[in-house]
Amino acid sequence: MATNSRMRFHWSLPPVAATNRLRGVNSGPVPDQAANLQGQLEFCRRADTLGIDSMLLPIGYQRPDPVTLAGVFGAATENLRFMVAARSGVVSPTYFVQQINTVSALTNGRVSVNAVLGHSSAELRYYGDFLDHDERYRRTDEFWTICDALWRRDFPVDFAGDYLRVEGATINNQFVSPERSSPEVYFSGSSEQATRITLAHGDSLLCIAEPPDELAKRVQPALDGGVEISIVCTQLSRPTRDEAVRAAYDIAREAAERSKNARQHFRRDKVESEGFQRAYELSERDSLWTTPYLWSGLVPYMGPPTVAMVGGPDEIVDAIFEYHEVGVSQFLFQGRPDLDTLIFFGEEILPRIRRREDASATSNGPPTASSAGKDGGHG
Amino acid sequence: MDDMRLRFHWSLSAVGDTMRRGKAQTTMSGAFDLDTHAAFCREAERCGIDSLLMAFGFTRPDPFTWSAALGSRTEKINFLTAIRSGVCSPTLFVQQVNTLSVITGGRVYINIVAGRAPGEHAYYGDFLSHDERYERTDEFWRICHALWRGDGPVDFTGRHYRVEGARINTPFLSADRDRPRIYLGGNSEQAIQLAVRHADCLLTFPDAPKVLAERIRPVLDSGTKVGLLVSMIAKPTRDEALDAAAELIAKAGDTARDVHRNVRGGTDSVGFRSMYQMADNDSAWVTRYLWTGAVPYLGAPAISLVGSADDMVEAIFEYRDAGVTEFLFTGFPDLEQMRFFAAEVLPRVRERERESASSPTG
Repeated sequence: MATNSRMRFHWSLPPVAATNRLRGVNSGPVPDQAANLQGQLEFCRRADTLGIDSMLLPIGYQRPDPVTLAGVFGAATENLRFMVAARSGVVSPTYFVQQINTVSALTNGRVSVNAVLGHSSAELRYYGDFLDHDERYRRTDEFWTICDALWRRDFPVDFAGDYLRVEGATINNQFVSPERSSPEVYFSGSSEQATRITLAHGDSLLCIAEPPDELAKRVQPALDGGVEISIVCTQLSRPTRDEAVRAAYDIAREAAERSKNARQHFRRDKVESEGFQRAYELSERDSLWTTPYLWSGLVPYMGPPTVAMVGGPDEIVDAIFEYHEVGVSQFLFQGRPDLDTLIFFGEEILPRIRRREDASATSNGPPTASSAGKDGGHG
Repeated sequence: MDDMRLRFHWSLSAVGDTMRRGKAQTTMSGAFDLDTHAAFCREAERCGIDSLLMAFGFTRPDPFTWSAALGSRTEKINFLTAIRSGVCSPTLFVQQVNTLSVITGGRVYINIVAGRAPGEHAYYGDFLSHDERYERTDEFWRICHALWRGDGPVDFTGRHYRVEGARINTPFLSADRDRPRIYLGGNSEQAIQLAVRHADCLLTFPDAPKVLAERIRPVLDSGTKVGLLVSMIAKPTRDEALDAAAELIAKAGDTARDVHRNVRGGTDSVGFRSMYQMADNDSAWVTRYLWTGAVPYLGAPAISLVGSADDMVEAIFEYRDAGVTEFLFTGFPDLEQMRFFAAEVLPRVRERERESASSPTG
C-alpha cells in the first residue's frame, strides 16, 4: 500500500549531449545524430537503474520522433517507462493508438502519453496544423474521444466531430500491459480547458511549477475530479544550497552572455500557452525567488520549463514534500547539467524521499508527524 | 556495376503466420512475435536479401515502430517500411523516417501505398476516393522531397495539405543518400505517373513478361525502376513445386476462399482487381511459371512463380529482359522458401549476371 501511494519521479530526455549545462540557450541541429542517440540511450539506462519512473520523450521539430524512439529505448531498459509526447493535429487518432500499442507490445506496457497542445502556432504550421489555441483544444478533445474508444475496444468506432471523423475503426493490435488496457495519459497545461480535458480523458494534469499556494488553488478542481497532479520544472541540485545557488547564478550569467535577445525571442513565440505566460510572469516579478527554493532566473533564456527547484538535498526534499502537501504526486524534472543532476537526484535525494514517505506511512499520528520524520531538517 | 545487379526483397507480412492471408481480417493477430521477426531478419541478412517489407494496415503493428525495434537488433538488412498518405502529416512522416535512419544507420526504404480498401481508410479518418488519394499522395511527396532536399523552410499549399515554414532538425542519416529509396506500390495509370514523379521504383503485380513490358515502358523510360510483388513456390523439382502449390490451396480451403470474395468486393485497387480477374481465367497458368491458383484463397499478393530453382532463374531473367530489376517475394512458409531461394536460386542468378556482364554484348 505504501508503494502505491509513493510519489513518482519522471525525467525529461535531454536533446543533446547530456553534459552541456547551457543547452536550451541556442538550439540548433545536433552535429552527430548517431552518437547523440547512443548518449540518450545511456541516459535512459542510467535513469532505469536509479529508480526514475518514466522518461519523457518530447515532441518538436528539433527532435527525433518520440514514438519511434520509445520502442528502441524500451528494448534497452528494464523498468523505466516512456512518456511519449503527442500532438493531436499531426496524426490520425487510429494510427496513433496503433503506434502506442506497438510500443506497449515492445515494452510490456512501459509507455504513457504526454498530450500536448503545442505552444507555438508557428511550429504547428510546419506540420500543417493551422488551428488557433481554442480550436486545438476542441480538436484535442475529439482526438482523445476516438483514442479512448479504440482503447476500450468498442469496435467498430464511429465518430464524426468538427475536426475529426472515423468510420468503422478497428485495430487488431492491443495495448499490452500487465495492469492496464490503455496508457496513462498526462495532459500538459494550466488553463481551465486543460483541466476539463484532463478530467474527461486523462490520468494526470501536468503543470509548470509555480509556488505551492498559487498552484494549490489552480489545481483544486482537477484534484476534486480525481486526477493526479504532476509538475514540471528544472532541478538545480548540488551538495549544498550555497553551491546550488552559485551554480544557478553562473548558468544564468553565461546564458545571458550567449543569448542577448533570448527574452524577446521566447516571449514573441510562445505566449499562447497560459502556463508559459505565467512562468514568464514569475520571471518578471521583483524577486526571481518566489519561494526559498523556486527560482525563475533561467526562464528568460531557456523557456518556461526551466522554472527551477534550487537547493541541496534537504531543500529539494522539503520542496517536494511542500508540493506533496498541496496534492502534487508526480514530478517531471530536467537538470543542468542533465546527467549529473539525474545521478545526484537518484543517489542523494530520492532515497531520502523514500525514507520520509516510509516514515510517514508507518506513523499513525496527526499530520504534523510527517514533518518530524524528515531527514536532517533545517529550513 | 554493383548497382546493375538485381535486388531481392522479402515480405515480413506473414512471417510466423504463413496462412495469415487466408483468415478474415478481423481475426488476424495484431500481435507479432518480435523474436521470430528478428530471427527472420538476421536470416535474411545471411540470405543476401536487400530489404524486408513491413506492411501497413489495421491488422498489424505500426510498421515504423516495429522496424525501429528490428533495426536495433540487426546490422545490414534494410527495412521497406510501408506508409499510406492520409494517416499523418508529411512533416511528421519525414521526421519518423529520419529518426528510423538514425536508429538503423540509414537502413530504411519507404513503400508508399495509396491503399486498396476504402472501408479501411475510413478507420483512419480518410474518406477520399481512389483518384483523390493519388492527388493527395502527390502533394504528400512534394512536401517530403522538399524537406529531404533541405533547401530551407518549406511552404506548400495544395488541395489536401498545407504547411508553412516547415523544417526538422533530424536529418536523413545515411552514408550515401540524403533521403530513403522510395518504392511506390500500384498498378493504375495514376500509380505509374506518381512513381515517375516521386519514386525510385514502382512495385507492381506480375503479368506475362510481354504484357508487363508494355505496361511499364513509361516508367522505365523515365529512369524509374520496376519491381515485382510476387510469391514464390520453389522446390528442388518442378513436380514438387506443383504439389506444394496444390497443397497450399487445399490447406487454405473454402474459408479462405470466402474471405477473399469479401476482400474482392471491398477493394478499389486496380492491381488487386486485375489479379482477381486474372485468376478467373480458365487456366491458372499465365505463363509456364506464373500461377494465379492461390489468388482466390490468399489474395492478390499470392500470385506466384512456381517451379524448380532453374525455373525460377528462367522466370527472373524473363522479367529482367522485360525491364524488371527488383523482386519482392513472399513464401509459404517464408523462412523455408527464403532459405531455398538463397541456397539454390540466388547463386545461379548472380552467376548468370556475371556471365552476361562479361560477355561482349552484355
